[in-house]
Amino acid sequence: MVSAGRDTVPAIVVNEVSHSFKATQALNRVSFCVLPGSIHGFVGPNGAGKTTTLRTICTLLRPARGEIKVFGSSTQAAPEQIRRRIGYMPDHFSMYRQMTVFEYLDFFAAAYGLELKERDRAITDLLDLTDMAGRRDSLIGGLSRGMQQRVGLARVLVHDPDLLLLDEPASGLDPRARIELTGILRELRRMGKTIFISSHILSELAELCDAVTIIDRGEIRFSGPMRILEQQQGAAAVWNLQLSRLVDGLLEKLEALSLVTTATEVEFSDGYVFQLVTDMGVTASQLLQQLLPMDLPIISFGRVKRHLNEAFMDLTTEGVR
Amino acid sequence: MFSGATVLLRWSLRSDAGSFWPHAARGLFSLVILFALSVAYANSVAVTQVGLLFFEAICGLNVLVITMCGISYFSTAVTEEKDAGTMALLQLAGMNPLAITLGKSTSRLVSSLMLLVAQIPFSLLAVTLGGVLWQQVIAAWLSLAAWMVLVCNVALLCSARCRTSGRAATVAGATAVLFFLLPHLISAAVAALPAGSLHPLLISLSERIPALMLEIHPLERLNEILFRWQSTAFLSSQFWLSLLLGFTCFGISTWRLNAWTRSGDDDELQLGPRFLRKAAGRAWPLAMAWREFHFFAGGLQFAVTKLLGGAAVLAIFFWLQSQDGQGYKWRLNDDLTDLALLCFAAELSLELLLYSAGVLSSELRLRTHSALAMAPVGTTRLLLEKMLGCVLSTIPVLFWIVVIVLVGDPQTVVLRERDVVLAWGIMLVFSCHLAALLSLYSRWAALPLTAVISFFAFFIIVVPVLMIPPTVDAVMITHNFVPGRLLSWAVTIFSTWLFVILPMQLAIRKRWLSLTIG
Repeated sequence: MVSAGRDTVPAIVVNEVSHSFKATQALNRVSFCVLPGSIHGFVGPNGAGKTTTLRTICTLLRPARGEIKVFGSSTQAAPEQIRRRIGYMPDHFSMYRQMTVFEYLDFFAAAYGLELKERDRAITDLLDLTDMAGRRDSLIGGLSRGMQQRVGLARVLVHDPDLLLLDEPASGLDPRARIELTGILRELRRMGKTIFISSHILSELAELCDAVTIIDRGEIRFSGPMRILEQQQGAAAVWNLQLSRLVDGLLEKLEALSLVTTATEVEFSDGYVFQLVTDMGVTASQLLQQLLPMDLPIISFGRVKRHLNEAFMDLTTEGVR
Repeated sequence: MFSGATVLLRWSLRSDAGSFWPHAARGLFSLVILFALSVAYANSVAVTQVGLLFFEAICGLNVLVITMCGISYFSTAVTEEKDAGTMALLQLAGMNPLAITLGKSTSRLVSSLMLLVAQIPFSLLAVTLGGVLWQQVIAAWLSLAAWMVLVCNVALLCSARCRTSGRAATVAGATAVLFFLLPHLISAAVAALPAGSLHPLLISLSERIPALMLEIHPLERLNEILFRWQSTAFLSSQFWLSLLLGFTCFGISTWRLNAWTRSGDDDELQLGPRFLRKAAGRAWPLAMAWREFHFFAGGLQFAVTKLLGGAAVLAIFFWLQSQDGQGYKWRLNDDLTDLALLCFAAELSLELLLYSAGVLSSELRLRTHSALAMAPVGTTRLLLEKMLGCVLSTIPVLFWIVVIVLVGDPQTVVLRERDVVLAWGIMLVFSCHLAALLSLYSRWAALPLTAVISFFAFFIIVVPVLMIPPTVDAVMITHNFVPGRLLSWAVTIFSTWLFVILPMQLAIRKRWLSLTIG
C-alpha cells in the first residue's frame, strides 16, 4: 500500500452546509474541519444528520446550501476527482454475496481502473491488512458479519484513497471484531490516511480519535480536538484530591474553602479520595494555594477530564428526531 | 396459529392500502378499460354486438395482467422474508408454515381480486352495449378468478421453493411461458411432420398433453363462454381444475415450507465445484459488464448450458424433419424454420426482459448502488456496461438464431416478412428499456406493467414506425435514387432510437442518478 495524507490543506472543510428532506431540516449551517492524517470522530444521536453529512462529503448528496471542500477541491465542482481520493463505507452492508472475497475486491479494483498487476498487489496487501488472506476464496455470503465488515473496509481501500469516510463501521460487530477493527484503523492512520468515522460507540472513539465533532438535530454542538473537549466543562470544573491517610473532619474543611462550591467524598474510597467542584475559571495553582496551608497528605491532585460520554450527553438533547 | 396469520394479513393489507403503486395500477387498469370502451363506442356505428367485442378485449387483457401480476406479486410472498432474513424470526414467533403461507398470500390474493372487482361495473356495460348476457359476464369472471387462484399459487410454490425473489419470479415466469407455448408448439411440430412418421405413443402423447393443458387454459374457456355459450356449462372443468391445482400448490408450499427454508439457508454457503467458480476469472477492464455477465446473467456455465440446449432443440427439429422418410437434410423446411425461429425468438425476448427488469433493481435490493456510484465511472458508461453484460449472455441464443437463418428455408414467413422482424426488434428494445425504467420505480410490478404498456405501445409505436421504410423508399424514388433496404432500415432504426428509445434511456439515467446521488 502506498501511504497517503501528505497534504497540508485540511482533508475536509464543511462550510455552512444546510440540507433538508421535504419538511425535515437534516443539516442546518453545519461547519467543521478535519485535519489530514487524523482520525476524526463524528457522533450524534439517531437522526442527527450524520449519514446525510457523510453523503454530502462523499459527493453522493448535493447540499442545498453551503460548500464542502475535500483536500481543497469543491465537492460540487470536481466530484469525480474527489471520488478517486476518498473511500466511503456506508452504514449498511452492501455486498455481492455470490462473489468470493477475491472476486469482490478484484471487481472494485477493476472498476477503479487499476491494471492487473496493480490489482494483484493491492488485493494481497489489503487481505493481509484486514487479516482475510485465508478467506480469499470464500463466498462473501458465507462470512460472518465481522469478516464481511473487513471485506467492506478492504473494498474501501482498494484504490488507495487518502480519506476514508466510515459510517458506523463497528455497528453489529462483537467485541473482538471491534477491537480488531480499531487496530486496523490505527494502522491506517499510521500509514497516513485521514479517517472520518461516525460511530455510536463513544468509549472506542474516545480512545481512537484525535478530534471529534458532535452533531445534534442537524446542528454542530462541538468540533475540535479531543483534549479540548475533555477539558471543557459546562459551568463548573471538577477536581480530584487523593490522600495517603484519613484526616478527621476534612469534608467540612474543604467545603469551607472559598474557591470550592461543593466537596464530596468519592463513593467506596473510604475517605481517601474527594471530589471538589469549583467555578470554571479557577486554576490548579489557585486551588492549591488554599489546600497546601491545610497540610494534607496529598498523593495526587488534578482536574477531572470530561469523558466523551458526558460531553455527548451534555451537548445533545433527549429523544430521537 | 390463526392469530399469527391474521397479524400478517392485517399488516400486509394496511401496507398495501397505504402504498401508492397498487392504487395506481388499479387506476391505470380502469383507464385501459375506459379506452377499450371508447374504442367499442367508436366501432358501434359499423359493428353489431359491440358489448361482446368490448368484453372480449377486457377478458384478454385480464388474462395477461393476472398472469403477469400473479407471477411477479406472488413469487415474492415468501422470498421477501428470505431476502430480508426474517424467515427465522417468523418461525421463532410461533408461526407455523400454514400461518405464514396464509398470512403472506391472502392479502396479495385480496389485493389482486380487487383488480377484478374494480372492473365489474364497467364490464356490466358490455351487457348494455349488446352481444353479451349477464350470465356470460359472471361465468367469465369466475373463470378469471379461478385462473388467478392457479397462477398465484403456482407462483407461491415457486416462492416457497426458491431462495431469492428473482429466482422464484424466473421459475414462475418460465412455467407460464411453457404453459402458453407448449400446446401450440406440440401441435405445430406434429402438423409440420408428414403423416405416419411418428410413433403411435408419441402421437397419443402429442394429442393428450395439449388437450389437458387446454382444459385449464383461460383463453380457451373464455372463447367458449363468449362464442359457444349455448353449448357450455356455467362452471366448466377449467374452473374446478384450476382451483384444484391451485389449492394443491398451496398445500405443497405449506407442507414443504420448513424443509425448503432450511435447505435454502444451506445452499447459500455452498461454494459449488471449484472449476465452476474459477469460470468467472479475473474482472475485465469493463468491470460492470463482467459482473453482470458472471453474477447476474448466469455466466459462462449458463451460456454453455444454453448453447448445448439450443443444439439439442435444433437437433430435435432436424430429427423431426428426418421422419418424413427422406433421411437427414441440411436445410429445415419452411414450417419447421418458422417454428424454430419463433422458439428462439421467444427465449431471447424472455431472457432480455427478465435481465432488464432485474439488472438495475438488483443493485437497489442489494443496496450496492452507493458503492458503485463512488467508483470513477460515469453513470452512462455504468449503465451501458450493465447492458453489455446482459447482451453477452444472450450470445448462445443469438448464435442459434443465426444458424437457423442460415440452414432454414429462406422462403419462410418470418424470413420473408422483414417488417415482422423489424417490428419484433423495435418492440423488444422498447419493452426492455421500459422494464428497466419501471424496475427503478416498482420492485416487482415492472414486468406486468411492461406487458400492459407494451401491448398498447405496439399500436402507437410500431404501426407508425413501419410506415418509415416505404416513405424513405418513396422519397428516394422521387429524387431519382435507387431505393435500398439498408438505408430505409437505417433511417427507421435511427428515428426510433431518437424519438422513442433515447428519451427512455435519459429517463433511466435520471432516475438512477436520483436514487444514487440525491
